[in-house]
Amino acid sequence: MSNLLEVEGLDVRFAGLHALRDVSLTLAPGQIMAVIGPNGAGKTTLFNAISGYVRPSSGQVRLRGHDVARLSPHAIAEHGIRRTFQNGGLFPALTVLENVLTGLHAQTEGSLVDVILGRSRALASERAMIAKARDLLSLMQMEHMADTRAGDLSGGQQRIVEIVRTVASDPPVLLLDEPAVGLSPLARDQMMDIINRMAGEKGVGILLIEHAVELVMAGADRIMVMAAGQHIAEGTPAEIREDRAVLEAYLGHA
Amino acid sequence: MMPTQTQLLLRTLLFWAVPLLLLALPLVTNAYVQFIANSIVIFALVALGFNFVIGNLGQLAFANTALFGLGAYGSAILVNSFGLPWIVSIPLAGVAGAAGGFLASAAALRGIRLYYLAIITLAFGELMRWLYVHGKSVTGGTDGMGLPAQSLFGFSLTDDRAKFYIFLVVAVLLFKATLNILRSRVGRSVMAVRENEVATASLGIPTARIIVFAFMWSGFVVGCAGALFALHTSYVFPESFGMLHLIVSFAMVLVGGLGSVIGAVLGAAALTILPEYLRSFPGMEELFFGLIVIAVLLALPDGLASLLRKLSPIFVERYYRE
Ligand SMILES: Nc1ncnc2c1ncn2[C@@H]1O[C@H](COP(=O)(O)OP(=O)(O)O)[C@@H](O)[C@H]1O
Ligand SMILES: [Mg+2]
Repeated sequence: MSNLLEVEGLDVRFAGLHALRDVSLTLAPGQIMAVIGPNGAGKTTLFNAISGYVRPSSGQVRLRGHDVARLSPHAIAEHGIRRTFQNGGLFPALTVLENVLTGLHAQTEGSLVDVILGRSRALASERAMIAKARDLLSLMQMEHMADTRAGDLSGGQQRIVEIVRTVASDPPVLLLDEPAVGLSPLARDQMMDIINRMAGEKGVGILLIEHAVELVMAGADRIMVMAAGQHIAEGTPAEIREDRAVLEAYLGHA
Repeated sequence: MMPTQTQLLLRTLLFWAVPLLLLALPLVTNAYVQFIANSIVIFALVALGFNFVIGNLGQLAFANTALFGLGAYGSAILVNSFGLPWIVSIPLAGVAGAAGGFLASAAALRGIRLYYLAIITLAFGELMRWLYVHGKSVTGGTDGMGLPAQSLFGFSLTDDRAKFYIFLVVAVLLFKATLNILRSRVGRSVMAVRENEVATASLGIPTARIIVFAFMWSGFVVGCAGALFALHTSYVFPESFGMLHLIVSFAMVLVGGLGSVIGAVLGAAALTILPEYLRSFPGMEELFFGLIVIAVLLALPDGLASLLRKLSPIFVERYYRE
């Protein structure tokens, strides 16, 4: 399998804290790699460094061979690495449809002048994007909520809309930071189903931070374990279950 | 409740019908009412532009009065010192306002936010006023600067009724353009920055460019309004562009409804008309004005526009167009 995403020797330092030490990983198209580890292990920091929100002091992030480390967050997103946020990143005052449309920003055509003058070039592209956003919502059986304010949705629905918005532009790489946290068991299974479909049907490479060990054991192709800013183990779910270092560093605490 | 397809059609009709009906206004007004009507059109634009930054972008930037002054002085200087016809000075005043907006956005881009941004942009306004006072040779200093009588295609623009038609056309164009922006990917991004700037960038949206654009568009609208104001009063002087103007236009945005386009019209109309009724209480005008504004904001935290939204979904804003 060719590598979609390659992270090599990533190091992040905050004042007095070495938050990420020499972390490397590779991700193939259609692969789901779970990232687990105790709180404060550096999982979110890893996502922040890959997506441009914190500047690594050394290391590389390559998307299909292109180095994207040290680009701005919006440039990295435009290259095709998209993410969700641990605390949720929806725009509460905008509707569900408007939220999904923001995920299609870069795909929408028409110059600023076209937009200001309301020219047909901008309007036609806008209409196409609206149709696409509605299709995506109906895949999730959420089309009837298109005009609901995102802030009025339940926590689980918000998580799903955030994922729909994040995948709307068909990104090759997806970073999901605890997407199932706070969901009911049923909603959680639905969420895992969505994640599996994106990897299986669309070939999206997915990094998934998730605390529920049973969930990742069942859903992920590979598991990477972090502790104290370091990559301490990696393997298939079966291999990880047997790993002594993991038991000590993580599962023992869980 | 979102508007239905029919209601959307009705809304479009309403948008064009109101200014068309207003074309008949000069037929029924006296000079006094016409002057007030002209003020309302100008202040609706001031509130529209101001609202774009504080309501839609969600930045506490108070450069609005500076940009308004820039437009008004820009227009007067272009007419007086460069001999341009006033009508040509309108878009140029808009460009001057946009340039001022660009300067103000530089502060926001450097991560200066909230109260710090408010104070810096306030200082910008006072600095501009200092320039008007001390740039005597160009601006006329504290005495200000008059605008010679203007005409357009041989029609005199000295009468308030004649001015009204031009003001109305400019206002309709700028309101339409602003709605076009808000109902597009650009407007959604502006509001996304307000809601969650970090998440906005994660969608491939260049947030810095969006912030600069929002400040510049706000400046363009307010700058154009400044050019209208120069003709409206046919005189510009520094005192028109001080704190009082800022407070009144801020109150217009809030009374109309933060982030609401129709709210800009309602707020401007309400707070332009109100002082006229308070004239019968000499010495108490400011007090009553303040008390009424406070009462409205307490009763309607989302402004007068929220009343309309309750009345009919036609007035619920939708930030896309199918
Ligand atoms: N922006 C930051 N500045 C300083 N310290 C940070 C910052 N972000 C994270 N940290 C610290 O880095 C460590 C790793 O945090 P994080 O990546 O959020 O862990 P996890 O997601 O695995 O729970 C924690 O000790 C956290 O306090
Ligand atoms: Mg985390």
